[in-house]
Amino acid sequence: MPTPYLVIDGLTKVYERGQVHALRGLSFSVEKGEFLVVIGLSGSGKSTLLRCINRLIEPTEGKIWLDGTDVARLSAKRMRRVRRRIGMIFQQFNLVDRATTVRNVLTGRLGYMPGWRSLLGLFSSQDKQTALANLERVGLRDKAYARVDELSGGQRQRVGIARALMQKPEILLADEPVSALDPATSHSIMQYLEQMNRQDGVTVIASLHFLSLARRYGTRIIALKDGQLVFDGPPKTIDNAKFKEIYGEDAEEVEVR
Amino acid sequence: MSSTPGGTGAPQDRLKVLSRRAFSFLLDWMAWGYVAYCVMYLLNYYWYTVHVDWWGTLTLPSWGWPVVILSTLELAVWCRSLGRSLGQRAIGVALRPVAGERIRLGRRVLRGFLWHLSVPFAPVWIARGEEPLHDRLTQVGLRTETPDPERPGRRAILTQWGFFSLFLAALTMCVGWLIIGINLQVLIRRAPQAGRIWGEMLRPDFRYFTAPDPVFHLRALSYSILDLTVVTVFMALVATVLGGVMAFPLSFLGARNVMGFSPAGWATYGVIRGFFNVFRSIETIIWASIFAIWVGYGTVLAGILALTIHTIAALGKLYSEQVEGVSPGPLEAVWAAGGSRIQVVRHAVIPQVLPSFWAFTLYRWDINVRMATVIALVGGGGIGDMLFYYKNQGDWSKVGAVVMVIVAVVWAMDYISGRLRERIA
Ligand SMILES: Nc1ncnc2c1ncn2[C@@H]1O[C@H](COP(=O)(O)OP(=O)(O)OP(=O)(O)O)[C@@H](O)[C@H]1O
Ligand SMILES: [Mg+2]
Repeated sequence: MPTPYLVIDGLTKVYERGQVHALRGLSFSVEKGEFLVVIGLSGSGKSTLLRCINRLIEPTEGKIWLDGTDVARLSAKRMRRVRRRIGMIFQQFNLVDRATTVRNVLTGRLGYMPGWRSLLGLFSSQDKQTALANLERVGLRDKAYARVDELSGGQRQRVGIARALMQKPEILLADEPVSALDPATSHSIMQYLEQMNRQDGVTVIASLHFLSLARRYGTRIIALKDGQLVFDGPPKTIDNAKFKEIYGEDAEEVEVR
Repeated sequence: MSSTPGGTGAPQDRLKVLSRRAFSFLLDWMAWGYVAYCVMYLLNYYWYTVHVDWWGTLTLPSWGWPVVILSTLELAVWCRSLGRSLGQRAIGVALRPVAGERIRLGRRVLRGFLWHLSVPFAPVWIARGEEPLHDRLTQVGLRTETPDPERPGRRAILTQWGFFSLFLAALTMCVGWLIIGINLQVLIRRAPQAGRIWGEMLRPDFRYFTAPDPVFHLRALSYSILDLTVVTVFMALVATVLGGVMAFPLSFLGARNVMGFSPAGWATYGVIRGFFNVFRSIETIIWASIFAIWVGYGTVLAGILALTIHTIAALGKLYSEQVEGVSPGPLEAVWAAGGSRIQVVRHAVIPQVLPSFWAFTLYRWDINVRMATVIALVGGGGIGDMLFYYKNQGDWSKVGAVVMVIVAVVWAMDYISGRLRERIA
């Protein structure tokens, strides 16, 4: 029997400062090609979980099997090689505001470049072609040489997507990719993620705040509460009772159209 | 009201409590030490003017210092035992009885006396991890005091801190007046001499502006004012470029957000930051006097080396503070894409900091031009050589000419670098 693509086994994270138990023995697995949505209240550990998968945060305990290797145990150097297969997009976009759009997109390629070339900023012409093609794909070809601080929030997140595309990722981690955006723009961003998932076969793990978005785009939903798994299943099976359990008794569901 | 007994808890907690206590003592000692010194100074001054000489004296007698130190220690201890001292307020603690609400005065006095007996045994009770002996014997302890949120605070000036600062300010003014008061009369008494010099300087003699002065020699060569001005600006330029080029890579090694991931990284950070701080606190003038002896008195090289060393340290510190202030998002993105530390620096940090690096460098150039005009005083070379030569000759109109050229150059540099900085920002 083939093992799942990503297996999280007993993942625990304790932040030294303040002794916060952000994740408590979390276990689940993700198949290749899934669109997994992580939901949960603020502070439930969603960001911590995503950042543990590519080790931007060091897990305290537990195993993270990605395609048969335990990434929680890799040396820094081997980890870099794994990271370039893992794309990531961020709530705050994490772009260099002063640099041009295409410069930012090209940084997605750094994991594949030898040290001296990247030090001089000598991206190959092929990389530059790919960068422009990826900008074309997210509809920002005409903004390629504009500075990022001239772009709107939605445009910035599309730059973030183009940057992740540069890695040709097998798996994409999206930490609240649309929290800083309005509903209409949110849908357009989520559609790009959906497209990556369907067309390129990229496994997507996205944390979202709105259940309606999670239902609409996820093929599966997991819910965290105080760093523990309180729900794991297809979107349809989240009913009102489940919702109250995840978000607390007083919560009301808000629709994003 | 929560309690922080010094005795219980993990070793590192105990260490924290002890170091907080040491800090509060230090604060009390500093405050009372200043008071004790100033009072001692005033008394000594008074005594001296009455009994020895109406001029007064600025030095304490040999027994003055022990008296100051002893009274500092005593004042601090009694202040800490009888009431709530500044140091205790600063760390938010107060003396409380183990049982009951208030401490009687007698117990406070007793604690003051016992402190003297218990301090020699301090190593014993610290090693055993117990509360201080004097606290245990009098059944009191330092407990954290949480301010009552219901009670409105008094106006800052009416608090104990406020009174104390006013008192310190008044004391400082008294002592300060005594120190400068004697010399102020000179300013008026000798005004005519100064007037003559000012008059000559304001009628500058530009005879040697472009023509070399045949009398003034530096290593058997004569120079004009313009020659040495160019040399001076050049010294500043070379030092700024060299210093900036060296400070640039070092600044990343001295930034927490780039280095602070491994013990080796932290060690490098500490060493580099230490280097910046130590070398920056030694002024260019001092470096110039060191290099003047090392590579030759009055040589341009000595000046350039001195300016460069100080520039490396000063710019390095400014640069690395900029690096620490970058927004962490882009760094995270490059790490996440599989970038190495060098790639993070090159593609996430440098694009963010480059404009402010330029601004700081230009500003530093400005400073270096000004420094370069005076380091000749200690053998650093440059236009200062001419300035001090004419000054020693008493040729004030030539001094005036050199000073005016310096003013023009500094003003021009200030203007240019200011405009450039505006363009960058
Ligand atoms: N660097 C840190 N140091 C200490 N505690 C942290 C740190 N980062 C997160 N935490 C704590 O860990 C817990 C989980 O945080 P996390 O950011 O993973 O939550 P989240 O689900 O992403 O919340 P949000 O929806 O607000 O982004 C929180 O209680 C938070 O306070
Ligand atoms: Mg989060």
